[in-house]
Amino acid sequence: MSDFKWKKLGKVFTPQEVQGRAWLKEFAQAPATLIFDDFVRVYFSCRPPADEQGQFVSYSAYVDLDRRDLFNVLRVSESPILSLGGYGEFDEFGTYPVSVIRDGDQVRAYYAGWTRCESVPFNVAIGMATSQDQGRSFQKFGNGPVVPYSLDEPFVLSGPKVRRFNGIWYLWYIAGRKWKMVEGRAEPVYKIRMASSSDGIHWIKMNKDLIESRIEEDEAQASPDVFYANGKYHMFFCYRYSSHYRGKENGYRIGYASSTNLVDWVRDDGKAGIDISAEGWDAEMISYPHVFELDGKIYLAYLGNQVGRSGFGLAVLDGELG
Amino acid sequence: MKWRKLGKIFDPTDYRLPNDCMEFAQSPQTLVFDDFVRIYFSTRAVDKKNGKYLSHIAFVDMTKDFRDVMRVSEDAVIPLGKLGCFDEHGIFPMNVLKHDGGIYAYTCGWNRRVSVSVDTAIGLAISHDDGATFERLGDGPVLAASPHEPCLVGDGFVKVIGETFHMWYIFGTGWKKFSPDAAPDRTYKIGHAVSCDGIEWVKEEALQIIPDRLGSEESQALPTVIEINGRYHMFFCYRQSFDFRQNTGRGYRVGHACSDDLVNWERNDDDPLLDVTAGDWDSDMLCYPHVFECDEKVYLLYNGNEFGRYGFGLAVLEH
Repeated sequence: MSDFKWKKLGKVFTPQEVQGRAWLKEFAQAPATLIFDDFVRVYFSCRPPADEQGQFVSYSAYVDLDRRDLFNVLRVSESPILSLGGYGEFDEFGTYPVSVIRDGDQVRAYYAGWTRCESVPFNVAIGMATSQDQGRSFQKFGNGPVVPYSLDEPFVLSGPKVRRFNGIWYLWYIAGRKWKMVEGRAEPVYKIRMASSSDGIHWIKMNKDLIESRIEEDEAQASPDVFYANGKYHMFFCYRYSSHYRGKENGYRIGYASSTNLVDWVRDDGKAGIDISAEGWDAEMISYPHVFELDGKIYLAYLGNQVGRSGFGLAVLDGELG
Repeated sequence: MKWRKLGKIFDPTDYRLPNDCMEFAQSPQTLVFDDFVRIYFSTRAVDKKNGKYLSHIAFVDMTKDFRDVMRVSEDAVIPLGKLGCFDEHGIFPMNVLKHDGGIYAYTCGWNRRVSVSVDTAIGLAISHDDGATFERLGDGPVLAASPHEPCLVGDGFVKVIGETFHMWYIFGTGWKKFSPDAAPDRTYKIGHAVSCDGIEWVKEEALQIIPDRLGSEESQALPTVIEINGRYHMFFCYRQSFDFRQNTGRGYRVGHACSDDLVNWERNDDDPLLDVTAGDWDSDMLCYPHVFECDEKVYLLYNGNEFGRYGFGLAVLEH
């Protein structure tokens, strides 16, 4: 298979330019698309200003892009698509990221809910919600998570990406492996995992790391974005070092793996075909890839510096899918 | 049926305990051997980082007449969980049963939160040395929060009946501030799950199996089940969800329900009734019951005042 070749189109959405929404000041993280006749709805996660202790909460929302010109922003959601959870619930302090899929007339969202802990900064679990209004607002399936912590996945279940292949629901996500103390700060190490389901509610975990670690044993992997093309499954994801990853050297890059059976994956980051730019909004890191097909073209949405603090951009595939 | 109280049988402040634990012997749970009874309990050390409590498991071996202490565990029975894990800040309680040549322990692990004090989940550890030490099956829990059980899954009590593992446990229905200045308080109810291997569990999912006596803000905890003459009896404790620590009229009491089919439970706290005894160690509170059989008698271990700070006592069932 030949390498992918992506042509960067630039940054599409800048959250700082949006006015009049107290819950949206900066960040537009983890883009995920839902395609309509006239527009592409891109879900993302954003934050209001930090509180007095410097702590953030995170909301999810969407921006509608003109289908004929993806750089033409038509509208931004008036309010978050999901409310934060109540006291002691898994999503009390954030709903980030979110992944959406159509299910008949409904739209389903799988999202990561954030709570705050004492010994480590946070914990995360995966919830589910449904929309009856084409994805403008979502109602939670329950006040608790739909993918619970388990023997081999003790904490930080995050980054869900939902897909359906051959009538089966699949969820790719990350599970925390350990909290690593780096200069007095607990940093999470997480790996890409997978579960399947006949109804999208009761999930059977595979309990296996899908993608071997490449840059170090404690490599953290995120955003497992899977699609099917030309007889096999492709996964774009991102990875980083376990320490000092907030800058250029150890920060997120985009990787690639493929599989013929969804279970066994062969990693080959050399094929990913996208790297940081020499300068500009994505010169330090690139992360949270999301691949989608639109009108005969394959696009890659992704985040740049500071994990999407100033928005997300697009690249288009130059040539054929491998 | 009637409980006859035998008094307090163990005071943790009389012994040197592992892990620098000082007080509390909460939620006693038994493993009956040929010539002694091992009673596990949760005791507490102070976390040097912040002065808060850490709950550790210890045990005491007693003669089968429960008059003499033979030994108290000198070493850690099970270490606390790793950084960020569900059982990092305590194990309380731990339910033990003999199975498949080993001893299974269902732990209720505690981890501290910021907006509320704590969350819990149920883990599994196994012993191959007659219960002296236990090893976890994994760093995570076997039973945790789920869509309609959003928090505080804990207090698992497991019994193998026929080929099926049954677990009675509690799930949180939510946290609530009962007054504007108060910290959030929790409410929890008793639920039921089944398993064919004791590891993979299927919950009935937010189905409360024991009706409330105090209304919807009754919290129910520590279910323990025994079969007596063909009927299943469950003991548990219950209280109001707020102002229950100091206000003795709102604190824990021991409840009771029975069932013929393990599905439908009829609550009847008064038969047999375990009541407080004025002026005694259990004058204000009765909590964390554990029912078990030993030498053909049915016993109930339980804690009294201050949630078991000064130990546990025993009652025997009379027909």
